[in-house]
Amino acid sequence: MLEVEDLHKTYGEVVALDGVDLSVAAGDIVGLLGPNGAGKTTLVSIVAGLRRADRGVVRVDGRNVAVAPYETRRRIGLAPQDLGIYPVLSVRDNLLYFGELAELSGRELTGRIEEVADALELTHLLDRPARTLSGGEKRRLHTAMAMLHRPPLLLLDEPTTGVDVATRSRLLEVVRARAADGTAVCYSTHYLPEVESLGASVAILDQGRVAARGALHDLVHAHGQCYVELSFDGEAPDVPGLEGAERSGSGLRLPTADPAGETARVLSALGPVAPRLRTVEILRPSLESVFLAVTGRRYEEEVGTGVGAS
Amino acid sequence: MSVRRSLAVARHELRLLRRDPAPVVILIAMPLVLMAFNRPAFRAALTEAGYADVNGAEHVVPGTAVMFAFFLVGNVGFAFFREHGWQTWERLRATSTRPVEVMVGKAITPLVVSAVQLFVLFGLGGLLFGLRVRGAILGLVLVGASLGICLVAFGFLLTAVCRTIMQLNAVANIGALVFAGIGGALTPLSTLPGWARAVAPATPSYWAMRGFRSIILDGASVGAVLLPCAILLLFGVGFGLVAARRFRFAETKTSWA
Repeated sequence: MLEVEDLHKTYGEVVALDGVDLSVAAGDIVGLLGPNGAGKTTLVSIVAGLRRADRGVVRVDGRNVAVAPYETRRRIGLAPQDLGIYPVLSVRDNLLYFGELAELSGRELTGRIEEVADALELTHLLDRPARTLSGGEKRRLHTAMAMLHRPPLLLLDEPTTGVDVATRSRLLEVVRARAADGTAVCYSTHYLPEVESLGASVAILDQGRVAARGALHDLVHAHGQCYVELSFDGEAPDVPGLEGAERSGSGLRLPTADPAGETARVLSALGPVAPRLRTVEILRPSLESVFLAVTGRRYEEEVGTGVGAS
Repeated sequence: MSVRRSLAVARHELRLLRRDPAPVVILIAMPLVLMAFNRPAFRAALTEAGYADVNGAEHVVPGTAVMFAFFLVGNVGFAFFREHGWQTWERLRATSTRPVEVMVGKAITPLVVSAVQLFVLFGLGGLLFGLRVRGAILGLVLVGASLGICLVAFGFLLTAVCRTIMQLNAVANIGALVFAGIGGALTPLSTLPGWARAVAPATPSYWAMRGFRSIILDGASVGAVLLPCAILLLFGVGFGLVAARRFRFAETKTSWA
């Protein structure tokens, strides 16, 4: 459904995309992961036809986005990162507008509004002005506006930003249902657990490149090393016996196949620096450890939040 | 081009207008207040200019209507800038709607509003202030329609060149006053200084006033407004061409957000 080949984009001196290749088949969910500035939103915007690539090709359902932008946009539903709704209009009128722009009318349009409102639990809010909705309700409306015309390719750019747990799980459920119906989904997010929960394949974007791409279990199998991670007060010390540890600031990180045994060995090796030890953490094979193995950096440090760590 | 999508945009603009009709109501109510205040002064001015059997409504109604019609120019621009403020512009661009469909859709509502505004002001001008049209009513309709098209095109032009909503607000309001002043809508052209009379034909309001006055005061037929209508439409085409050249759909405008 979506094919991206050798996509390049720069903003002045800043390289946003540096040769991105990606394909998403009908019914697939691809989690686009990466820290701020990794190029996720630029990639989504180019696929949606909002920005032009410097080089490379994007095809949606076999059509080149640059050659037939309006034909391809008909096949795309975009929920941008920033909330975009008409606050003075009712929920129904917000949906109505995007349905009419997709040239839906009559019973078909009414049916689609009811369908998407039901899926995203907006039915009881249809006649409320959008400005009176809670943050989570606004986000659900924002997403519903992208889904109304049943696009074969759905682009969701950080769709759960700022929402509560209930809204997040509802959105994930709807995304899974759409994919089960054959929709290709590009799901850009900071939150690793969401990608794991969606059972999505993963594309890790780092510094404008796809650093890793594949099914979640394959990536975890290939890169999902266990780590024991120590953090200290002040600079990480030199500890005899732990010379192979990766060092960053106050942290030491040791790859291992036996996390329990390695933890015991490390603790006993600390000796006189033990009082400076603040935390010990075992990172089991997960998307977090895949990110670490692929980029050499902890994901939660990159996104500036602890939510991403699994 | 899809007419359905343009009509969808137009219906959407009407829904937004229905949710907040106050600005348009003010643009209809305020001129009526000004007409009541200014009519006696215009009676004196018209009498001095040699017109007999006049009560002042013959100038104050079309003049005030033309000035307030130009205040609609700001509304044309706001229809774009608020999309940026609500962050819906990118969403709109991401649909299969073409730029020309958006422009046509966004032109329809202000054209309708302009028609309603002129209809109500001329209608109530007759009922409340004794405006008597001596020539062909169809002539008034043609001038009003040409003026509306010119205004919308001017609104597109300002939208294209202004980067912020404050720039739009300032230029649209000052432009309305300047055009009204120099074009002879605020005061009869004969009372303006020579340099202003020389510059007046360079403003659309001059041609709108010339058309309206020829029908209302001189009792002219439709033929007399063809030139003013043609020039108003030429202004519209000119504004539209510059707007089309300068408008960047991918540009992000700074709104209130």
